[in-house]
Amino acid sequence: MFGWLNKKESASIAKDRLTIAIMSDRDNLAEFPFMDELKNEIMEVVKKYVGVKTVEIKKEIEGEIEALSIEIELDKNSRR
Amino acid sequence: MGIVIAVISGKGGVGKTTATANIGLGIALNQKKCVVVDFDIGQRNLDMILGLENRVVYDLVQVMDGEASIKQAIIKSKVSDNLHFLAASQTKDKSVLSSEKVKALVEGLQEEYEYVILDSPAGIESGFEHTIEFADTAIVVVNPEVSSIRDADRAIGILDAKSQKVKDGEEVRKFLIVNRISAEMVQKGEMLNSEDILDILNIKLLGKVPEDKGVIDASNQGKPIILDKKSMAGEAYARIAGRICGQDIAIKDIEHPHTGVFKKLTGMFK
Repeated sequence: MFGWLNKKESASIAKDRLTIAIMSDRDNLAEFPFMDELKNEIMEVVKKYVGVKTVEIKKEIEGEIEALSIEIELDKNSRR
Repeated sequence: MGIVIAVISGKGGVGKTTATANIGLGIALNQKKCVVVDFDIGQRNLDMILGLENRVVYDLVQVMDGEASIKQAIIKSKVSDNLHFLAASQTKDKSVLSSEKVKALVEGLQEEYEYVILDSPAGIESGFEHTIEFADTAIVVVNPEVSSIRDADRAIGILDAKSQKVKDGEEVRKFLIVNRISAEMVQKGEMLNSEDILDILNIKLLGKVPEDKGVIDASNQGKPIILDKKSMAGEAYARIAGRICGQDIAIKDIEHPHTGVFKKLTGMFK
């Protein structure tokens, strides 16, 4: 009955976690509004040479270095 | 010109198609001419929820490609003359959509109907972008659950970036439906309440829909739950449809059903 004294309600944990996660999501979207176009263009270029399933781009920060890592998943069924 | 409303969610499985079916039927039951369009190309489902799967002859891809006219492809609801339906293609994939084709289709429907409701695919891929591109209003459906809310925020972000209305310097209106609320869990602090979700997403509330086992029973039969006037979810959708049609209907506090607190909400769709 007095569980609330020592245990934080999970709904309020959810609110805190979501607030932080969504703020970070929005920052990323604001910083790279061109991400979708970039993905599509990379896809078009690679497609000229080999079948592509998906293109994923992530921003990575290590110390002083900021980088975009691009992961291209090939489509096995459409090798040219 | 009719109002174009896109029903979106981000995450799949939150009850978006059920919401679309019930909102469409609810608007029709308010004597407004309404068409619901399944934009989930390749994963046709709205026909099942509406109980119209056996009547589909032509789909929206065939209409967009000029293989069938809107009149030929439209299916009339069995329960309301005011509700018409346009099915998604089951065989093709989302890549067949293009902005020009979607624009022409939506404009054609706007001339015939007071409300054009588009059921968008889950996710935030191209199919989703095409659904929201020409919408005046978006209805975002979430469950009170972290992954649904986070994905909804991303979908809203893309809506704000890709909407033609926003590109034209106008505003695309956004409203939230919180679906599958368990009052018991909210009161115990085990489930996010709607006010917290509205805070996080920074969006206006259109309605709260309780968890209701009758929804599965209704979809089993292809009879949207709004037809069951005694059901909790059916009542919630009837209130939502009334609000969309411009009626002043207070938000019922289903999260605290015994305290009887009502909040005033004035004609948001007027």
